[in-house]
Amino acid sequence: MRKHVAHAIGAAALWVSYSPLLFAQDEPLVLDDDVIFDGDLGFGIPSDAIPTDFDASFDDVFDNPFDVANESEQPIPAWLEGFTVKLSQQVLFQTKTHLAGVTLANGQRINMPHLADIETNRMGANIRYQYAFAPGWLLQASAQARLFLYDDYEFEANNQSFETEYRLNEFFFQRSFGSHSVKLGNQTVVWGEVDGNSVLDVINITEFRDFSIIDIEDARLNQPMLVWDYFGDLFGERSQVSTFVTLYPEYNPPIVRGSPFYFEPPNALVDYKRGKSLDFEGGIKWSRSFSGSDVSLMAARLIENQLRYSAPPNPTDDALSTNNTYTLFGVSANRAFGKLLLNLDLAYSAGIVVSSFNIPGFAGSNTTDLRHDQLGVSFGLEYAIDNEQNIALSVQGQKMVDDNESSQFALNDDVSGVWLMRYSNSLMNSDLALAISMQGDIDAEYTILQASADRTLNDHWAAGINLIVLEGVETTPIALFEGDIRVGFSITYTF
Amino acid sequence: MIAFAATHRTVLNRLMMNRILTTAAVFYCLIAANTSLAQSLTGREIMERTDDNQRSISDSSFNRMQLSTCRFGIKDVKITCAERPRVKALESVGKNYGPNRRDTKSVTIVLEPAAERGIGMLSYSYDESGRDNETWLYLSALGRVKRIASGNSEDDSEPASVFGSEFTTEDTETGKLEEYEITLLEETIESGRDVWKIEMVPNKERARKTRYSKVIQYIDKERFVSLRTEMYDQYAKEIKRLMASRVELVNGAWTARSLTMMNLVTNRLSNMAFLEIHTGIEIDDNFLTQRTLEDVAFRETELEKLRNQLQ
Repeated sequence: MRKHVAHAIGAAALWVSYSPLLFAQDEPLVLDDDVIFDGDLGFGIPSDAIPTDFDASFDDVFDNPFDVANESEQPIPAWLEGFTVKLSQQVLFQTKTHLAGVTLANGQRINMPHLADIETNRMGANIRYQYAFAPGWLLQASAQARLFLYDDYEFEANNQSFETEYRLNEFFFQRSFGSHSVKLGNQTVVWGEVDGNSVLDVINITEFRDFSIIDIEDARLNQPMLVWDYFGDLFGERSQVSTFVTLYPEYNPPIVRGSPFYFEPPNALVDYKRGKSLDFEGGIKWSRSFSGSDVSLMAARLIENQLRYSAPPNPTDDALSTNNTYTLFGVSANRAFGKLLLNLDLAYSAGIVVSSFNIPGFAGSNTTDLRHDQLGVSFGLEYAIDNEQNIALSVQGQKMVDDNESSQFALNDDVSGVWLMRYSNSLMNSDLALAISMQGDIDAEYTILQASADRTLNDHWAAGINLIVLEGVETTPIALFEGDIRVGFSITYTF
Repeated sequence: MIAFAATHRTVLNRLMMNRILTTAAVFYCLIAANTSLAQSLTGREIMERTDDNQRSISDSSFNRMQLSTCRFGIKDVKITCAERPRVKALESVGKNYGPNRRDTKSVTIVLEPAAERGIGMLSYSYDESGRDNETWLYLSALGRVKRIASGNSEDDSEPASVFGSEFTTEDTETGKLEEYEITLLEETIESGRDVWKIEMVPNKERARKTRYSKVIQYIDKERFVSLRTEMYDQYAKEIKRLMASRVELVNGAWTARSLTMMNLVTNRLSNMAFLEIHTGIEIDDNFLTQRTLEDVAFRETELEKLRNQLQ
């Protein structure tokens, strides 16, 4: 345990300590008086040589933005302007050949050989569309397509043949009138102030399919909802009331075959079989801004995003899946102190099933159906070190708060939770972004470290490289990947 | 997906360090005067006069801007971009509030590049000493409006870059002249115009908040436009230089519509071109709220109303 704490602290300290040295200020350029700007009329030109129409200076360098002739003679139709397309190619390698293993609760040891190999190799297209087709009306949609190439785990799982995947993410209509806004369709609702580590960010389902997705911002999936927002002062100055309801709750999708997280279950895990009873989720949030602070109160009737699977009476049948309805009460607040921002989320969940999944992509193997009340807290701080550097720290903790004597398998009788740290440094006017993030559990039993460098080449092209290192003790699920070192590359074209 | 997240975090980080562009930038560049001044004006009086004009120009404004940034080099004693500039297209709306209308609320929306399209930032800037400015932004990756902590000019010494450019909030700041010792050094010529050369040295209190040991301004004597500004570090070395051009009479005030900030340490420069400047626009107070960031249908409807006023 201490090893992982030391790794985390050490890595953070090294990065923060050496950044100023790496990026220390150079000697400023001394401009001689005879230096001129691109042959035009800039500074440093002897005054008697400067014509009076000096206003032309600098413009040529920037494609002369004031030149009306530069504008397209045939404007793009309004309905076409709303498209943003991003094409990408991504490759992720597991670079280390070694033996990983996990020790089960009964003492049994399971060893798994890990070979250095390509894990993901895929092309992607993300399309986003936003069109205000009439006053007060908006259509917003986004979709993605994936083509899984050689050596991608989905390529391998599909008998080594090319596999494609298409998904409609957002698709909703919005109508805004007066102080009201109504949205109907596939969308997301995000509660909580602590980025990436909030106990209140539980409305939408998520999918952690592989190690190319380890942030909840990327894993969140849209769901069909009706959302109504009220922006008037009826409930206080600078306040807002937001509600949502869905009559078609969805659940975290099962792990896809071939994924590094995939395990062969004894019974097939299939979609939830909906009965005749009406399943619905709904919630309301009131929020208000004060000087230097935002405060929100919320309540919701929710269905847990993760289904519970159990063995069917007939061993050859699909696994039985059940869902669980619970009630959530929450409070979130932030407070800015100059360059420091503090965030706090509190969640009281009444009637959740005992089991928690702090490790993305894993389902507990010995969960129980006992229902408990749970108190969750997320606390985070963000600090702008200087103009280029930013650091965010957060910790999330959860604890069962009701005593259930029949609980013989209570997994969360102690405080459990995760911590997250993100540091970023943007250089070259943000064309080069360096970032490092670490996350782990508060018992310091595992650590996931990710470092990335993203280079924006121009208005369209960008490239990135990232490194993922996993460390975990044998009794945690992450131990199946302990010692893995992943290196990823990506290139994107956006227009 | 990692790259996708990183891209958005890059934008986020970029904006987290940034404060409002709209009025502050306009304030700085729109140094103008509507009357000629007697030769007996002191440096402080000249700067005070320009401050008053700046605020009048920025109130109820709707602007379209192009922000271009590149690495520069010197070739045959000419400074040129050494790479193709990165260009951002922005739209901003601002309005003054509060006592003497010295507080500002503003919204800036990124139109281009495509990767950053739709990112919006809302900022409340307060004139009151000790009251933090407030900034919120909306990123689709986060799925919500987020308050940003980036400090303010009153309490923090680190300036914030404006949309990842070489302009910082300190460079674009106005007012607070009482925090400087202002000296009229000489009358000279800059860019073919008669100018006052004015030195601004921060007092002890201000010195703790600024990275500049002094600032030299070259103010057009007739138009009251700053044609050149030199910023010096604590070792008295010039580290940044701002050049103004395209000085035009806009809505009754002389205005520099093109500003180029050169960072002499990183050898990078940014140009802010004010393609359109409209003042006296009727702006609904509700537009300058968080709703504009997250309610796109509302935002587009209100923006269309503003655009219609320009015709």
